[in-house]
This record gives sequence, structure tokens and C-alpha cells, in this order.
Amino acid sequence: MSASFGGGGDETAADRNVEIWKIKKLIKSLEAARGNGTSMISLIIPPKDQISRVSKMLADEFGTASNIKSRVNRLSVLSAITSVQQRLKLYSKVPPNGLVIYCGTIVTDDGKEKKVNIDFEPFRPINTSLYLCDNKFHTEALTALLADDNKFGFIVMDGNGALFGTLSGNTRDVLHKFTVDLPKKHGRGGQSALRFARLRMEKRHNYVRKVAETAVTLYITNDKANIAGLILAGSADFKTELSQSDMFDPRLQAKVLKLVDVSYGGENGFNQAIELSSEVLANVKFIQEKKLIGKYFDEISQDTGKFCFGVDDTLKGLEMGSVEILIVWENLDIMRYSLKNHQTDEEKILHLTPEQEKDRTYFVNKDTGVELELVDSLPLLEWLANNYKTFGATLEIITDKSQEGSQFCKGFGGIGGILRYRVDFQQLELDDDEFADFDDY
Amino acid sequence: MDPQANQEGELDSWDQQEDPGPGDQDESLQLSDQLTGLNVHATPFVPGTNINAPAFVPSFGSKQSSGSGGDNNDQNNPINEKAEPCETPTSQDESKSTPEAVSSDKSENSANSANSENSDSCCSTPEEPVQENGPDESDKVEEQETEKETPKMIATKKKETKQNLQLEEAEKEFKENVNVVFIGHVDAGKSTIGGHIMYLTGQVDKRTLEKYEREAKEKNRESWYLSWALDTNTEERDKGKTVEVGRAFFETEKKHFTILDAPGHRSFVPNMISGAAQADLAVLVISARKGEFETGFERGGQTREHAMLAKTAGVKHLVVLINKMDDPTVEWSEERYEECQSKLIPFLKKVGFNPKKDIYFIPVSGMTGENLKCRSQSSGAWYKGPALIPYLENLPPLNRSSDGPLIMPVTDKYKDMGTILLGKIESGSISKGQSVILMPNKMPVEILAVISDDDDATVANTGENVKIKVKGVEEDDVLSGFVLCDPVNICHTGRVFDAQIVIIEYKSIICPGFNAVMHIHTCVEEVQIKALLALVDKKSGTRSKQRPRFVKQDQIVIARLETSGVICMETFKDFPQMGRFTLRDEGKTIAIGKVLKLLE
Repeated sequence: MSASFGGGGDETAADRNVEIWKIKKLIKSLEAARGNGTSMISLIIPPKDQISRVSKMLADEFGTASNIKSRVNRLSVLSAITSVQQRLKLYSKVPPNGLVIYCGTIVTDDGKEKKVNIDFEPFRPINTSLYLCDNKFHTEALTALLADDNKFGFIVMDGNGALFGTLSGNTRDVLHKFTVDLPKKHGRGGQSALRFARLRMEKRHNYVRKVAETAVTLYITNDKANIAGLILAGSADFKTELSQSDMFDPRLQAKVLKLVDVSYGGENGFNQAIELSSEVLANVKFIQEKKLIGKYFDEISQDTGKFCFGVDDTLKGLEMGSVEILIVWENLDIMRYSLKNHQTDEEKILHLTPEQEKDRTYFVNKDTGVELELVDSLPLLEWLANNYKTFGATLEIITDKSQEGSQFCKGFGGIGGILRYRVDFQQLELDDDEFADFDDY
Repeated sequence: MDPQANQEGELDSWDQQEDPGPGDQDESLQLSDQLTGLNVHATPFVPGTNINAPAFVPSFGSKQSSGSGGDNNDQNNPINEKAEPCETPTSQDESKSTPEAVSSDKSENSANSANSENSDSCCSTPEEPVQENGPDESDKVEEQETEKETPKMIATKKKETKQNLQLEEAEKEFKENVNVVFIGHVDAGKSTIGGHIMYLTGQVDKRTLEKYEREAKEKNRESWYLSWALDTNTEERDKGKTVEVGRAFFETEKKHFTILDAPGHRSFVPNMISGAAQADLAVLVISARKGEFETGFERGGQTREHAMLAKTAGVKHLVVLINKMDDPTVEWSEERYEECQSKLIPFLKKVGFNPKKDIYFIPVSGMTGENLKCRSQSSGAWYKGPALIPYLENLPPLNRSSDGPLIMPVTDKYKDMGTILLGKIESGSISKGQSVILMPNKMPVEILAVISDDDDATVANTGENVKIKVKGVEEDDVLSGFVLCDPVNICHTGRVFDAQIVIIEYKSIICPGFNAVMHIHTCVEEVQIKALLALVDKKSGTRSKQRPRFVKQDQIVIARLETSGVICMETFKDFPQMGRFTLRDEGKTIAIGKVLKLLE
């Protein structure tokens, strides 16, 4: 499967992930966009469709749209259709993965109107045909595309309750959770000991039945399993009981990849189940992510010095060209500001957290008290995504869903890298940087 | 609230007001001397007031079953619970001093007499029994063995069933209760030993056992039949693995024991922790069989983990049973016993048990029962120490004071014509009709019944493992880890707290954002490290000035933790039982720690 979204020739898996992340971001911004009237056009052309057919359809639409009574709406729809037609002319044929075009006038946060015209080829074939004029962009088809088609189901059941979850790509979702109250052994004896034993068995049986039925509602859509594989986890015998039970749907039974032993139920059990089934799920992004951060932590625990963390260290490492793998949290909220002192024409780059942004002193020259001119600002992650190649690094964008990811984001500020060789940042770094960091707590 | 401080404060005041008998052995001895003198005069009463007689001998509780003094006590008790403890010293010191009298085992008799003197002051009639014992008394103080026989003799003399019943009741109520947890690697023979002990002490009759044996034979699992006394579930019997903590009782002449049979399989360690949390004493069962000993002891073996968890749960004394001595690969070889012992000691030392004081080794066979109740005569003659049950019986009494506010973490609950909660009373006492608060939800509940050993009781004291029927709360609204508290002195709850943590075993590094499962008293909760505050030097105990970015194995750190829900806890300083915890993740124990400060 060849991916190409503004992409070059030799693409590695890591680059592809960056592309995916870019699309994700795009989708987010598109979803947030709202326009006036029904003038926002979403057009998706599947591969092997013909440009000419779509052009003709657009021409027809143009004709229909000119009958719209409201003048404002008519004009904006017509202008949007014209823009789309212009875009289409840039393509001689539909690219191998299909074509996606979004066009329309959106209202920005400060109430201004802004024309948007985006066209791109998705990184994977898109088998949807869509033409819609609405007051928002329709991105469902793209979101579905992003979801890794390898979706794995998890059922974690223990004596306290059951959890149903899925893992696909680097997203880990809990679909459903419920608790049960199973009788434990109380050593209640006497003549009713047998009765208690029987009641106990019945309750356990009902629990297994409930889990089996919930599994069907969650993992089977349109009479087909919606998951690529299923992992059953649990602390006692429930998972084996479930897998062998007649109540368990045979369609799901066929999908069972592994039974794993976990010591807890709930979220923790879910995490452990993912961990334990990592060899079965080796090619799932989530597992790769865990491994990557695990490797990073290994460097730290062995004190090899081949690691860096924090914005300043990481950027220094990047400039030195020593960073091999750059690891950044997908929701990193640090902004990159380019500031210009218009007196001296000096350019200054700042990386600020949202809290620091509120502090205006950052935007003022300390010596002269001159307010600095804002040249450019954009999220650091976006800047890195655009520029990582020039530093000879690979970029890995990670989530905080896994144990390791959560530690990386909370403990190391969500940005760091594995280095090619040992660099002692302590010498390069000023001491007050360290303290600034501790003040956060 | 800090229960300990309270306890101390209260104790002091009582000591001043009351006769120091129960508290101080020497003085009580003197008192008993005086009493013997007193009693001589009382002789003529003996035949007349027999009813009271036996009841008084074993301990104080008899009052409740007999005599006007007892009634007073009953009435007073609930009132005391509600009122400020210090305000009603006289009536309370009667009730409170009782357990202490029992617990100071040597001075038991003297304590009794001291007590009886006490009651003497209010009502002089029921004084007789002591008199009869009078002559024996001096002997008894020295010889523990004979001590208990006296009441029995008296009882037989009377041959009145009613009295017998009363006697039994009184005896049971005031025997010291000791919670013993059996821990060890899977298949070490924990349940089998537990089952055998129950058989030897008559808790399981021979007929039932024969039935088990027959059934086990049908399943080709002949050697398992003993464990079936504790493994009551079908799954447990089918697989021969304990899953949930088994619970049983047995009694010896001096003490009352609660057996907690913990599962050994690594998947069920959480269950084991809840069992260990209720224990006063742990019995670590080790298989001496070739290969089994080694696997249990390797990294990842449960021998290691269990010993550590038991220590963290607050178990101070450990009895190590080297089991399966009858196995063909061992054949009661002294060398093997020595070998196991020498390998275990350094490790147990590392965990924090003092080999000289806290650990005792006994070679046993769970299958044949040698050295469980009686010393083995033939095979293991080289072993000169006591067998398990006599050893447990003769352990010095646990230092418990049943004053202080009521604290009872709930281990388990079920529905049986009302909500029934199970747990061990960690502090204070609980009585029928008392109103208490169920934390952390601050639900007021009323105690409908106190069930100890499947029999109704009116009062249960510190250290007892009881079932309690409550009114005012649905079974569904209770979770294990909830705590029953005194309405005046409720326990603390929190979500965010600072704690000192020792990282036991973790392959990677731990930094803020780390998630794990926390076991604190009987509560299990997910927890996240919010921040690491300071490293603690292992040797000097000094705290680092700088905040560490991460911690590794074997380091000690002060960290800020946040649980996902509000739970009951106390700082370690105030109440250790509710201030120490274990962090586990991925089926392994990662760290142990103690609560330093509650923040929210």
C-alpha cells in the first residue's frame, strides 16, 4: 500500500505515521469549522472514478444551485462549486488512492470569513463516493479510514466485573464496563451448604451468559464480527469458561487469538492484557509505541546518556544532529513563537506552555523594554512535523494511553529523544532551567 | 484523628482511676495475694452460688451471662460507646480491662481475681469461685498448662448443662483471638495443612473427611482430600488450587484461632493480600520436595512475594513450616531441612523479619500430620522443638488494646437476610445495637448482630474476625475496603496523599504518570503517581533536595499519589494498619510504601 499525502518517494513507517497524524489534525480542524448556510462542500472521489464524470456532476449542481432563492447562500454555494471545479482541473485523473476535496467559506473564531480549499490524496484507498453541501465538512469517511482496520477486541472478566475494550492503531477504547456481585466463599456450611454452592454456580453461569451476550452486541455488527481478533483475559477460570461455553457466539469464538491471565479486572487488567498479548498484536501501533518508549526508558535506567528530554535539551540535540528518534506526545501544547525586535531586527524563538503565554514578560525585551513583534506562532509539534527531516531524525508521535506513554507525558514533559551518541546536556544547560521545571509542581 | 494518641491518653487516665491489676503484672500478683486472703473468708458461699463460679474463672466475660454485674455491663456498654470515653471511667474500665486481663497470659488468674475484687466492691455475692481456686492459684501463675484445667474440672463437678454452656460461652468470648494466614508458593500444601489442623482440632469430623477422601478418590486426586475442608468451591476442588481466601476457626485450650488460607497461585495474589491484611501471624509453608522448594524461591516464585507482602501487611511474626518432609525425595532428612532453613534465613532477613525473634522453623508433613499437633515420634526425631499448634498456643499474647475508636475495614460482604459484612476489628470493640458510620460514604448504620465463629455474640473486641449484620445500608452499596468507624471518631478519607515508597522490582523506570493498583488494608484501588518529591537515601535516610525525575528499582522515594476514588486511610504514624500499602502492576508487586500525609 503506497501512501502519499504530499509525500516523497522513500517513505518509512515512521514517516507514514507522521502523515497519519497530519491527517488527524486536519480532520480535527475541519470538524471544528462552521460556515454560513449550506455552502461547505465535501467531495470524495473513490479511486478509478473519472474526473470528467465528477466535473459533469458539478456542472449540473451549479445549474441547480443557481436557483437558490437566498442571494447570500446562492452566491457562496456557486463560488464554492466554482472553486472545486478549478481544483479538479489540476488533476488529469483520479490518484490511485482517490481524491478528497473540501471547499467553503468558514467563520473563524473572531467572526471573520475565510475561504478554505483543501484537496489531497488520502494515504490509503478510500472507497467512498460523496458529494455534500452542508454547513459543516463531512469527515466521517476519513475518520473511518484512519481507524486501523486491524481492530482487536478485549474482554477482561474477573470476579468483580467485566470490561469490553478495543485496541486499534494507537487508540485504546473501553466500550463497556459492568460490575457483578458474585458470591464468594464464606464457609457457610450446614444443611444449606449445597444450596449455597448451587446458587453460586447459577450466579456464575448467569455472569458468563451476560458477558457472552454483551460481547455479541459489541463485537458483532451486521452479522459479522467487527474485530480482527479477540483476546480474553481474566483472573480466574471465567475466561476459559467463556471461551468453551456454548453461549459464546461461534463467530467470536473463531476470532479468539489468545487467553491471558491477568491479576486484576478493570482498566489495569486491560492494560496487562494488552501487554501480555503483545506478540500476537506485534504490528499494532499501540504495542510499537509501548516498545519505543520502553526502549527510551531503558536508555534512562541504564544511564547510557543517549537520551534527552524537555524542549530545550531536545532542540539542542536536534541541532547537533544527535537525535535518532524524536518522541513527541500528540497533544503537546507547547507553542513555538518567532519574535522580532523591530529596533535591532533581531529574531528570537521562544517555546512557551499555555501558562507561560499569559506572562507578557516573555514578549518584551528585558533590557530595553521594547515589545517584541510576533512574526509567527505555531504548535511546536507541527513545526517538528514539518522540519524533523532536516535534522536527520525520525519523528514518533505517541499517545498517553499506555502506561509508558502516560509516564512519558507526565514525567518527561511529553517531548524527548533517543540519541545516536552520548551527549552531556548538564554542561550545556543553565541551572535555572532545572528550577523552572520544578516550580510546576 | 489519631487513634494511637487517643489510646494512650485514655489508657493513662484509666490506669490512674482503676486498680492497675490488668495493666501491671507485678502489682496484680500482689493483688491476687491479697485476694486469696479475701477469698478464704468467702468460702461458705461456694456451693450456693455455683452458677457464677465457673464463669468467673476463665475470664471476665462471664459477667454478661450471669450475675447482676454483667447486666450492668451490658447496659453500660452501648452508652459508653456513644459517650466520651473519659467521662464514664468506672463502668468502662470493667469492660475495657477485660481483654487485657486475658491477653496478659501469665497473670490471667491474678487478673481475674483483681477483676473480681473490682466487682466485689459493687456486689459482693459472686465472689466465691476464686475462693475455690484460691489454693491453686499460686501454682497456676507459674504453670500455664494447668491453668485452664481448673475451670473444666469445676464444670464437670457441677454437671449442669446450663452452666457448661455458660462456661463455654465465656471461655470462647475471652480467649485471645489470633488470625493466622497461611502463605507460600502454589502447591506448597497450605490448604492441606489447614485442613489437617481442622481435623486434628476436631473442626472437621472424621466422617466428613472420609467423604472427602472418597470423592477425591473418584477424581483421582486422593492426596487433595485434606485441603477440601478449606477449598469449598467446585472450581477449587477440581483444580486443586485455592482461589479465594478460605476461612476457618479452631480453638485450643488457651487461644482461639482464625485460619486464613491464602491462595498460592500468582494470579490470585490480590486475594492473598486481602487475607494477609487481616492476619496477626503468618505461617509460611515451604515445600521441601526437590525442585519445588527451589521454584517457589526463585524470582517470580510466590514464597518470596508472599513473605514480603505479609510483612507489608503488618505481620510481625512468621512461622516457617518446611512441609512435605515425608516425601520420598526428602524422607525427613535433617540436611534438607537445614538447607532450606539456611537458604530462607538471609532472604527473610532482607524482607525485614528478624531471624532470632520473628521467625520460627518447624519441619512438618501436611499429609500425615506430623509435627502439626504432636511431635513426630519416629521419623523426625531429630527435631526437638514444639509442634505447630502448641507453638502457636504458647506464643506471647499480642499487644492489643481494645480501647480507642472502633475501626473495622470490611473484607467482604454478602446478603443473607440483611447485609452482612466481614472483617477484622483493628481497633476498639463492636457490640450489638451500636450505631456506627460506614466510611468513606459516611453512611450511618446500626449493628443488628455480631457473629463470631458462626455464633451470635453481643460484643467483639479488637483482633477478632467477625461477621456483622448491619441495618441502614444495602449490600450493593458496600465495597470491600470500606471501614466501619465510631461516629465520634471517624477515620480519614482521601484521594491525594504523600507517601514513602520503596521500589521492590520494576524493570524500567518509574516517573510521574505511572499507574498501578494499590492495596491498602482491605481496599484495592487504582493509583497514579502525580509527582516525585524527593529521593531518600537508603543508608542515611536523608532526603534529597532536588526532585528526582524518575526512580529505579531499589530506590526509596517520597511521592505524591492520587487514587481514582476516595478511599479510607490513615497516616502510617497514626494507625499503621491503615497506613501501609502495596503497589502492584502486571501481576507483580512493584513497590511497598507507607502514607506520610493526607492532602485531599
